[in-house]
Amino acid sequence: MIRKILSTLLLTTLSVMALEQGEILPQPLQTQLKLEKDKLYVIDFFASWCKSCKKELPLIATIHDNNLTEVIGINVDKNREEGEAFVKKFNLKFPIVYDSDQALINTFKPLGFPTLYYIKNGKILKSIVGAIDAIDLQIQKDLKEFK
Amino acid sequence: MIRLMVWSMGTLLLLSGCSIKEVKPWEKGDLAMDIMQYEGLHPEVKKFEAHTYFSKEASRGGAGVAGGGCGCN
Repeated sequence: MIRKILSTLLLTTLSVMALEQGEILPQPLQTQLKLEKDKLYVIDFFASWCKSCKKELPLIATIHDNNLTEVIGINVDKNREEGEAFVKKFNLKFPIVYDSDQALINTFKPLGFPTLYYIKNGKILKSIVGAIDAIDLQIQKDLKEFK
Repeated sequence: MIRLMVWSMGTLLLLSGCSIKEVKPWEKGDLAMDIMQYEGLHPEVKKFEAHTYFSKEASRGGAGVAGGGCGCN
């Protein structure tokens, strides 16, 4: 009976597990995001309906525009056109992945939104969950620690 | 072993059928729409209704909510 309960709990837990700091991204995911070896990536999940994203994204764009590190944006709008219009409005020049079916974010399963990940060699070095003031300064500080 | 797996899957199916589906942080796009606001798309309509209520009842207020639900007010 105990074995049955334990196996049920294990299966339930596996289905809700999020990718956390220190974990390695599955290889198909690394391929999909075109992550290169020894490069540090800032991966930011955002959506057009997210008001905090409107404040954060222009600041995150400065990180890319100043060539501080590689930045990838993942738009999770179910309607891709809304995401594209949002990207165009903010004139984002870093690579954007449109996750309209929300498969990517369902793999990462962040606890809040927006969420930003630092990833190097497929490993999650750190994540920032939720919006914070002066995210660009925080990223610069984190990059100094990682390099 | 097969019996155990079938039993586990059956239990999971049963449990998931009884549960309320959690709205994930990235699924709140619909909740963020303007039409989901308490006062609807046009706050002016609410103002108009409040004016009519005041004219008819000679009373105002009581329709709002103070604080954010933290219990600190």
